[in-house]
Amino acid sequence: MNTILAVLKKELLDGLRDRRSVMSAFIFPMIGPLFISFMFNTITERQRESQDIDIPLIGGEYAPGFVDWIERRGFTPIDGPDDPQAAVRDGTYDFVLVIPEDYAEDMAEARTAEIELVRDGTKKDAGAAVGKAHDLVNSYSRMIGNLRLIARGVSPQLSQPVKVETVDVASERQRAAHFMVFIPMYVILAAFMTGMNIAVDATAGERERNSLEPLLVNPVSRQALVLGKWLGAVVFSCFGIALTLAGLVFAMSRVSWQELGIQLQMGPPEIIGVLVATLPLAFFASGLQVLVASFARSFKEAQSYISLLILLPMIPSIIAQLYSLGNKWWMAPIPALGQQVLLTEVLSGESVSLLSFLASGASSLLLGLLCVWITAKLFQREHIVFGR
Amino acid sequence: MIRVENLQKRFGEFTAVDGVSFEVPNGQVTGLLGPNGAGKTTTLRMLYGLMRADGGRMEVEGVDVDRDPQGAQAHMGILPDSRGLYPRLTAREHLRYFGQLQGVDKSMLETRIDDLIQQLEMDGIADRRSEGFSQGERVKVALGRALVHNPTNVLLDEPTNGLDVLGTRAMRSIIRRMREEGKCVLFSSHIMQEVSALCDRIVIISSGHIVAQGTPAELLIQSGHDTLEDAFVMLTGLDEVR
Repeated sequence: MNTILAVLKKELLDGLRDRRSVMSAFIFPMIGPLFISFMFNTITERQRESQDIDIPLIGGEYAPGFVDWIERRGFTPIDGPDDPQAAVRDGTYDFVLVIPEDYAEDMAEARTAEIELVRDGTKKDAGAAVGKAHDLVNSYSRMIGNLRLIARGVSPQLSQPVKVETVDVASERQRAAHFMVFIPMYVILAAFMTGMNIAVDATAGERERNSLEPLLVNPVSRQALVLGKWLGAVVFSCFGIALTLAGLVFAMSRVSWQELGIQLQMGPPEIIGVLVATLPLAFFASGLQVLVASFARSFKEAQSYISLLILLPMIPSIIAQLYSLGNKWWMAPIPALGQQVLLTEVLSGESVSLLSFLASGASSLLLGLLCVWITAKLFQREHIVFGR
Repeated sequence: MIRVENLQKRFGEFTAVDGVSFEVPNGQVTGLLGPNGAGKTTTLRMLYGLMRADGGRMEVEGVDVDRDPQGAQAHMGILPDSRGLYPRLTAREHLRYFGQLQGVDKSMLETRIDDLIQQLEMDGIADRRSEGFSQGERVKVALGRALVHNPTNVLLDEPTNGLDVLGTRAMRSIIRRMREEGKCVLFSSHIMQEVSALCDRIVIISSGHIVAQGTPAELLIQSGHDTLEDAFVMLTGLDEVR
């Protein structure tokens, strides 16, 4: 026990003095939150822009009723440019509505009047604004049509035999969780990224520096040594997870979700849920890294193995973005996959059974310990201790 | 007190150590002398419990190394072939870490570390991080951490390797002091002069076999030569190769 503590203390001291370890523990947790702030603020901005769009209009004087309708719907009609096509092409306007001279006449005669929507189909980011303008014209047309039917004593329902009523079964929060599918992935990655350096330094680093042999001549069991080293990486990894989560919570608190039409709850229960679900993953991530790095003779060699290893925990997240993973009983005990399922449920506000937490946590801990045990066995092999 | 009987070690087809037997009494310095590749390092590695012997018996202070390697390690101070340090730890932190691993009592550890820093003349580097230490300074730290638990038996694998003249002299005086303290010192070397300058007893090993052992005087008589160097060359069979 004392030995494990001595090794743990040494590895932590060593790790804290190692710029590489500290950087990876601090920088990774910063990137995600920065990304979130940037991404969602851009989206909000975009949405805000499309909400109070100006409607550039030519020939508004021919259609006072339409202009009035636009204003009543909360938009601002403005005078359009002289050459609408050129103005749209060079990007001064996303679109221009052109009302022809015979509009009023067509309206009066109850013929189909035309309004021209000038747009540039290659401009993707103008899509929202163009859609709004389109809706505006359509809804005005429908309103006038209904009024005409009523004036002739016909129910407007006759002209609308079928109507689509969309029922979205996903609750607002579920949709948000889907939207935020990358948060579980990021927290899971944090478990792997932030303890990595110290796990490598404590194993492959010992071999590279020729310090493994002097270490092993001490009357200490291999298990105790590897446990101490493993715990060092676990501490870094847990710290990284907590820091990542804190960063994400902070970044998300600065995004105005209401405006995006997303209701995302990230209160104390969710934060605790995420921590309880993810922290045990540190046991597995560090264990696996300690084990894999022990096969490497140098830091560089270990890093090339481990960067391949990083792909593993990303697989469930990537699949989750394509298909809905669902929740099957066998998923919880699989590290990274179990956490992915748990986190998605926690973030979508579903009630998660204690058993799922226990199953995924216990399995990560046990698998981590198994890796430690195998590593301790490896450290008994002569070609690992002396092989350079 | 170290006793080795009929030690065997094979690597695949190759027999590295074959029937090596010797004793290292307390209060004496014993040199394990042999050319490169003779099996010195392999013998020491088996003795300090990192390599398993294929046959034979090893005892340190009466503890069987095969049966209880950790018990034997607790009686030994070991300067192995590789002596890497942790670049981000200071010399003092190295000694403290190894003291804790050796289970040195907390109340005694700091005084012991101070003593060693004095003895090994490490005052200047005690609280500096070890990256950038000279070869001599690195060996001192490696030796310090090997001796932190004040072991009775000291095993040194080529202790003067890579040291300059001053470093070598310092190492010799450290070894002599350990003899005066009544310790059992076993060190390996491939340099004749090194061994003859220090040793009470010499064990000559060649191609995995012990070819001769005894005091320097006894070895001269055995070989029929006037100088130890000639005796060494003859006994190891190096002259036949030439």
